[in-house]
Amino acid sequence: MTALSATTEPRNTGWSREFVGEITATAPVMGDSVLISFTSPAQFAASCRAGQFVELLCRSPQSSDPLLRRPFSVYAVNPARHELTILVRPFGRGSAWLVDQPVGASLDVLGPLGNTFTIAPKSKNLLMVAGGVGAAPLLLLANEAVANGKNVTYLLGAMHADALLSPQHLPGEVEYQVATIDGSAGRQGFVTDLVPEYVTWADQIFACGPEPMFRSLRREVLANRFASKPTVQVSVERTMACGIGACLGCMVETRRGMRTSCVEGPVFDMDELAW
Amino acid sequence: MVTTKQQSGDRLFPNLTVDLAPNNPRELVLRNPVIPASGCFGYGLEYSGIVDVQRLGAFVSKGVTPEPRSGNPMPRIAETPSGMLNAIGLQNPGIRGFIRKYPPIWESWEVPAIVNISAEAVEDYAMMARLLDDVAGVAAMEVNISCPNVSAGGYCFGWDPVMSSEVTRAVRQATTLPIIVKLSPGAVDVIEIAQAVEEAGADAVSLINTLVGMSIDTRARKPVLANNTGGLSGPAVKPVAVRMVYQVAQAVRIPVVGMGGISGLDDALEFFMAGASAVQVGTAIFSEPGMLFRLIDDLTEWLRVNRIARLSDIVGAANSRFHSSTVPHSEIVAEMVGQ
Repeated sequence: MTALSATTEPRNTGWSREFVGEITATAPVMGDSVLISFTSPAQFAASCRAGQFVELLCRSPQSSDPLLRRPFSVYAVNPARHELTILVRPFGRGSAWLVDQPVGASLDVLGPLGNTFTIAPKSKNLLMVAGGVGAAPLLLLANEAVANGKNVTYLLGAMHADALLSPQHLPGEVEYQVATIDGSAGRQGFVTDLVPEYVTWADQIFACGPEPMFRSLRREVLANRFASKPTVQVSVERTMACGIGACLGCMVETRRGMRTSCVEGPVFDMDELAW
Repeated sequence: MVTTKQQSGDRLFPNLTVDLAPNNPRELVLRNPVIPASGCFGYGLEYSGIVDVQRLGAFVSKGVTPEPRSGNPMPRIAETPSGMLNAIGLQNPGIRGFIRKYPPIWESWEVPAIVNISAEAVEDYAMMARLLDDVAGVAAMEVNISCPNVSAGGYCFGWDPVMSSEVTRAVRQATTLPIIVKLSPGAVDVIEIAQAVEEAGADAVSLINTLVGMSIDTRARKPVLANNTGGLSGPAVKPVAVRMVYQVAQAVRIPVVGMGGISGLDDALEFFMAGASAVQVGTAIFSEPGMLFRLIDDLTEWLRVNRIARLSDIVGAANSRFHSSTVPHSEIVAEMVGQ
């Protein structure tokens, strides 16, 4: 392997979306998680959209372990500063290595990858339902939506108050409601318990979180008796290897057959998923 | 270090070409010895818009089977120390859909496409070989014998010299295309298998396929993979692969294609020196797709710096026959690979 250099130009590897970024800022967030910002080639910072992810090599160039890249949804983009930001919860070997990297360290990045959330032009009211670090892609989506003049309600669920995103991270125009399992902030219970209040208001729902959350969300949406139910887009999480649709390791079962979560996802219409 | 006196002034342009089917009139000449392994490069198209696929020596397509397969349930992959387990389950459109879809695209490509075939019956291997024989865009076949033989109670073809030989002979009779038989590391005696498939008409052998492994989720108290077992690949398997290539390369006269955990120049050199005429890169592509091209460049540069005119001059350099002999290296190599 070649040594990493602190350049943000695409490395001449023959792969136009593999680049070395430099960490420009880290900030603790949601209790044990960290926001990591890193430099990116200008065209990626400009073109990256909510729902897309990056795959990071979570090891030094000399090491072969942990082997596989880790996917992280993009939390924020800063086209002016050529930066991308991700939200990392130290969950396993790769993410634990990542949150220990200091400002100035180099990251080997593949991406942005995957499809995006799609806001329908006629939609006015958007409901976002996030569980834990599922907050990340919806934060970027909330920013995009507000910039496009949409009304946004952002629901976030966590175990306890310390694990929530503080309101200053969200655009001021967003209505922000929370639920905690221990009741230390907001509604006591699951984030999906908040959904019934908004399901008739919303034209579209966007969700990211653990799979049980999606199941509850679907129940809440189907329970709505109004004629026009909002459509739901969910961002799924799978163990992933290549990130570009070659290995077929990250498949999602849909009504039209197996789909790759890395290229044909990670965002799917909830009705398409075969549960 | 092996060197040759062949130099062209100050600049030496090392010759990286390799013929993986020297005994076959349809030959399989590669401009360089770097080949993405089956299952790790899709059908070449996934990477084609982004990397210069044409620079590769060849590529091996994802395994194709007689009928379409939707593959195994999820999870299909699990990371392990310096490696990974996969149980994709040969998801593919089946041989007929495959032939309609991919070779017409490859036909205009410069890079040779090697089609990996898998089946659970000898007749099915032969049937696929017959269908592929005159398909434009197909340069060669790689025969995956690490499959269960249904008529032998699911016992893996590649673990038995007789069954390995039967598959190879059936494919040989069905096609004149170059055939590379991909050996399973699960065989008790890989040398015996290699010699059996050579005898049955293989133009080359490739090894190693993945090692069967398992990871257990201790919280759920069950295997991580839905299929329970999966194939282990990555740097963790490299020493096993190098050992097997070393053994096989000294026991057969056909070219050997080495693979197993190659993630850079030094890994590839180990395989060449163990006796591989070419290498396949698999799991490392997932982490570093650009590595394929760095490897070609680094290998070229390494040969140039070491003033080695031909890659074939280092093939088998670590083999005992090399060290115990006074015969010029290239002649030993020629003898070893049957050139």
